[in-house]
Amino acid sequence: MTWPSRVFQVMTRLTWLLAALLVPLFAASLLWDPALLIAVARRDPALARTILVELRLPRAALAALIGASLGLGGAAMQGLLRNPLASPDVLGPSTGASLGAVLAGYFLGGGVLAVALGGITGALAALALLLALAGPAAGTATLVLAGVAISALGGALVNLALSLAPSPYALYDVLFWLLGSLADRSLPQLAIAAPLILAGAALLLAQRHRLDALALGEDVATSLGIAIPRLRWTIVIATGIMVGAGVAVAGSIGFIGLVVPHLVRPLVGNRPGAALVPAGLAGAALLLAADMAVRLPVNGQELKLGVLTALLGAPFFLWLVVRGR
Amino acid sequence: MVLLAAASMQFAASAAAAAAPLRVASLNLCSDELALRLAAPGQLVSVSRLGADPDETALATRARGLATNTGRVTDIITLAPDLVLTSRGDPNAAALARRLGIRAVEVSEPQSFADVRANIRRVASALGRSAAGEALVAEMDAALAPRVRLRPALMVSGGGLTIAADGLAARWLAHAGLQQQTVPRGQLNLERLLADPPQILVFTRYRSHQVSTNQRWLQHPAFAALPATTRRIATDGRAWTCLGPGLATEIARLRREVGP
Repeated sequence: MTWPSRVFQVMTRLTWLLAALLVPLFAASLLWDPALLIAVARRDPALARTILVELRLPRAALAALIGASLGLGGAAMQGLLRNPLASPDVLGPSTGASLGAVLAGYFLGGGVLAVALGGITGALAALALLLALAGPAAGTATLVLAGVAISALGGALVNLALSLAPSPYALYDVLFWLLGSLADRSLPQLAIAAPLILAGAALLLAQRHRLDALALGEDVATSLGIAIPRLRWTIVIATGIMVGAGVAVAGSIGFIGLVVPHLVRPLVGNRPGAALVPAGLAGAALLLAADMAVRLPVNGQELKLGVLTALLGAPFFLWLVVRGR
Repeated sequence: MVLLAAASMQFAASAAAAAAPLRVASLNLCSDELALRLAAPGQLVSVSRLGADPDETALATRARGLATNTGRVTDIITLAPDLVLTSRGDPNAAALARRLGIRAVEVSEPQSFADVRANIRRVASALGRSAAGEALVAEMDAALAPRVRLRPALMVSGGGLTIAADGLAARWLAHAGLQQQTVPRGQLNLERLLADPPQILVFTRYRSHQVSTNQRWLQHPAFAALPATTRRIATDGRAWTCLGPGLATEIARLRREVGP
């Protein structure tokens, strides 16, 4: 199969539509507050370029990448665990990543790369703990209970670690690590996070046919020649890398991983593998939009991203509960 | 009860000159700094852990050998102090000390230079060291005396936090020849800083060797991209916590760096 036809095979009409939606959102994030940009460019073009390249570009690109990683990670986890509540933020990998990043950054004095690796280690540890506690084929209740417990423990440990950190400023960072923000990110952070997220995403996307087969049941999947344990570990590791790298840069951002797969799955015939690409694109679009909404002045301060995604996501979660009764 | 407490305070104040306290414990960084400057050798037995922390105060070396406390009366009760110094921001500590029969003196959070002088005199008089207090007031006033030309500046610490343009910190800064610009809500983001770069950027290196998001903010590459027309001046962030007389030397140093 040639490369273009492979691309067209992945890109259905839905994904083209979502991808086309990303373009204006990305441009709007980059060119946010054009009056300010124009005013600066008139006075000092080099300064306007600095604002665009050093501040806006990492912010917009990280929003797209991290949003995509959350959407993809959520869709993959829901497909793998065959559980509608599975997502990085509900089941613990996000807070695990926060904890790992905090330990690497505040105590081991690591730079951007070390913090990213700490985040990945934390996310993987939380996922391993989840699977060990709940087992591979756990029911919804067991899985969610184990995940909520890991999330709560992770959050408490982040708080504890920041209380014990040498800098008295560190405790203020609890909000950032548990709610997330993309304000004032830098190009070096993008340069570290982007390849890790893209690698994790590629690894996940390569599993999409196997995920579709898994939806038919483990026996069917095995008879189709799929090694289930290997598939499971591949998805866990890929999700851990993506979520860990994203959280290390932007803190743990809730609800996108939970909500987005539910939005797109009905549009792809409820096949978990086919939902991966649209979930990634929709996640990117949602986080780009949310990151612009937090920049609207609310009492002069920027809101944390998690506040906004929860405001959007929680009502959806409730609707999910009501519909499922 | 209130009357009784007030009466006993007055009695204590009049008795202070007669008998200087021998075992003084300070519970707050800002009272630590005053006590470390004013107390006679051997008079001070304990300072807060911040008062002995070189990251928090330039006077930490003078606190060497003293017992440190966490700001609570229970920490220092076994030292049998006869005077407790604390901040008005923690009225419970002073009330508890008085209930235990220990004299307590509170320094205020200064809003003006008059408050700073009053704090110096209050602590000096409680220590029976009024002469040292007057000397410190004179030293501070001498540091503030030179007339300076004001130029617009922006003082910012980690995370984009700034000082209020109408507060005491800005008034100290004005004596260095720097007029703090108004920042809405007191916090800047990098975009706003770059879009409207100040002529002079005063930044603190407070706790810069320890990781926090606020501290990372000061290391963002965008700072290096500020135009060459923006002059960057570092200040010792520790001196700005209490806005006490310790800031006078830092202001004099800044004034020399800024130039005429």
